[in-house]
Amino acid sequence: MWRGWSEVDETVSFSRNGVVEGELRMDLEFSEEESELRDNVRAVLASICPPAVVRAVYEGKGNAASVWATMVDLSWPALAISEEHGGLGMGFVEVAIVAEELGRAVVPSPFLATVTQFAPAVRELGGDGPLGADLLGRVAAGESTGAVALAEGGRWEPSAVGATAGETADGWVLNGAKVAVLDGADADEVMVIARAAGTSGTEGLGAFVVPRSGLAATSRTVVDPTLPLADLVLDGLLVPPDRVLAAPGTAGVADALDRAGHEATVALATATVGACRAIFEQTVEYAKVREQYGRPIGSFQALKHRMADMYLAVERATSLCYFASLTIAEEDPRRAEAASMAKAAAGECQRLVVQDGLQLHGGIGMTWEQDLHFLLKRALSGDALYGDAVHHRARLARMLGLAPLVEEARA
Amino acid sequence: MKLTFGDEVEAFRREFLAWLADNRPTAEEMAREPAVSSAHVPGWASRWIRRLFDAGWLVPGWPPERGGRNAGPVETLVYQEELTKAGIPRTTNPQGLGIVAPSILDYGTEGQIRDYAMPILRGERTACLGMSEPGAGSDLAALSTRAVLDGDRFVINGQKVWTSGANYADFCFLFCRTDPSAPKHKGISVVLVDMSTPGITVRPLAEIVNPEHPDLNEVFFSDVMVPKANLVGQMNNGWAMANGSLAHERGMVWLSSVLQLENEIDTVLAEAPAALARLTAPERAVVADGLVESAIDVAAARCLGYRAFAKLVRGGSAPEQALMKAFCSESQRRLSLRAAEMGTDRKVDIGQGPTRDGTWIERYFVTFAATISAGTSEIQRNIIAERILGLPR
Repeated sequence: MWRGWSEVDETVSFSRNGVVEGELRMDLEFSEEESELRDNVRAVLASICPPAVVRAVYEGKGNAASVWATMVDLSWPALAISEEHGGLGMGFVEVAIVAEELGRAVVPSPFLATVTQFAPAVRELGGDGPLGADLLGRVAAGESTGAVALAEGGRWEPSAVGATAGETADGWVLNGAKVAVLDGADADEVMVIARAAGTSGTEGLGAFVVPRSGLAATSRTVVDPTLPLADLVLDGLLVPPDRVLAAPGTAGVADALDRAGHEATVALATATVGACRAIFEQTVEYAKVREQYGRPIGSFQALKHRMADMYLAVERATSLCYFASLTIAEEDPRRAEAASMAKAAAGECQRLVVQDGLQLHGGIGMTWEQDLHFLLKRALSGDALYGDAVHHRARLARMLGLAPLVEEARA
Repeated sequence: MKLTFGDEVEAFRREFLAWLADNRPTAEEMAREPAVSSAHVPGWASRWIRRLFDAGWLVPGWPPERGGRNAGPVETLVYQEELTKAGIPRTTNPQGLGIVAPSILDYGTEGQIRDYAMPILRGERTACLGMSEPGAGSDLAALSTRAVLDGDRFVINGQKVWTSGANYADFCFLFCRTDPSAPKHKGISVVLVDMSTPGITVRPLAEIVNPEHPDLNEVFFSDVMVPKANLVGQMNNGWAMANGSLAHERGMVWLSSVLQLENEIDTVLAEAPAALARLTAPERAVVADGLVESAIDVAAARCLGYRAFAKLVRGGSAPEQALMKAFCSESQRRLSLRAAEMGTDRKVDIGQGPTRDGTWIERYFVTFAATISAGTSEIQRNIIAERILGLPR
């Protein structure tokens, strides 16, 4: 059979094997309620977090405490927390909608760390226990912010955790170091992931929740101060028994961390793509008004094609983010694969859009006064957290059955 | 957003599957008499098209008298998914059914519908589409094949090229210039030309893959006489039909492309472990990463296509749809090259010619048909930049 594009039309001439039931039956467009939420969130953020607020954070001339206060007033931290814990009981799609807008407006706030990292981890690891219920209730009420200390040595998968937890008469003693903890120096509560000495891989993992005041945190020098990171040293830190969310060796900790990780990963991917879309839109608008040789630079085909490619990169990543959000919201078994695809695509999108967005702005894009760099830095930083595109492509290689070969190659 | 369609859609799917099980052509009859051209309808295909037509499954979105059942867009999508999964072409003359027949139904006279469109829908006649010329490829409106009205007939002179299936088609849906003094978009008309008319010479163009089974042709017209009654629509209104043709063409092509990509990535991933084992360790990591990239492309194509589709179903506009042609065709090209680099001896359906099997390198060359025809990838980017992003011309 012939199947060039023009020849095929609606006819097809091949067989598809191994179709997963339901795979092809999805509605990836916002419902009316979802569109309304997105519009509301965008309008609120435009009002409470204009570029001047971001600039103040960048220049150390102010903080964004009032931004978070408004979010709390509007119950955004409670969005996806169950009603029994004082939340609104909505799903991950709503969280992703907010995350996309946070990236778009480069909003400095505890939302990403608290709502998309800390709260899901608490829920998955111990939402039924008294500590978990207390923490979720306080997040929902906007009384506490949180962070998750997971990564070590640039690796984000739970199996790479090396920090140890040893049981004593007074509680658990933690040792080791954590890196790149989002809001790690600012959050009220920090969840630390550590493992029983002598265990490895997905065995022996545990989770502890420590008040920030009890931690030695060092703020990192970061390119984007709206995503503040800290490194933690756990030098014999004692955690009392009532602060143990999941004792090392508790069944299912690795799975719970994976599940929470999907939410954190997709939220970051979506926020990153939100920043990328804003860069793309600003670049197109700039190309329409900036004139050289007596005509708008956007009329030159060399630039048109680059903007068409930026558009594709943004839509490619956006679509995968929405799909991944749905797999989380609907407990679909493809969520791990979908999350890594979304994060990888967001990272690839960032590489193209940051590069060409800056290049097409020319010299003005290089200046501190132009707000564009807030978005550029946000997009780059979002790629780096919870595994960059390279990391997630390697994960996908494993999930797609190419893994032993890749790992052998790395050795 | 949700991951599933409703119960009524699933009921529709079951109804079609039940009918399909009883009425599909067998693999044996399809293999015994393969279509050798995109305008060749073998006996089994003719009978199959007729069964589809009679049962209202040929074009589900159309009314029963035209081979449909007034189905909605979601039902049509489900129908195509299932037909694709079953590995059965709806017709072996896709341009006839997908472009020519709908255009005649939209613009033609009752007689043209009776004598040209309906026979296509019943699997009795085949059609080719005469658009591109040596001097009019991407710039289709520059076409120069002339049709001069002489009493009650047109006299046609000129040349077409890349005309798929012209070597087998019964008639041609021919775009020609009827007013050379008008601006180029405004002097074009469409005429139905029986391919047996004296003065037509068809010269097949062997392609770089499968040269023994040419499907593209040069078609020369030398004082070809065609009744005036074969004019489709208004005189000099052909450009609207060119756009209409492409609209028909692009209707759901994205879905075939997505399903085809999914089929191909499944094939590649199944083959990958054995193929990668033959490479050196550093090569494996590089090739595996390329395959992962293609898997992401395929998933993204599906998500992007379904997202745009959902917008259209709701009656909104879906600018993302404009991305699908270049994205899918370029994803196919990348995928086939990566599969070739992986190094496998396994034969695949290369998508060209009556014999379905070839190497991935052959498939790679065939994929260029999709990045070149129906608006090259470069033209697609111009369209996206100007019509979707609003960049100045």
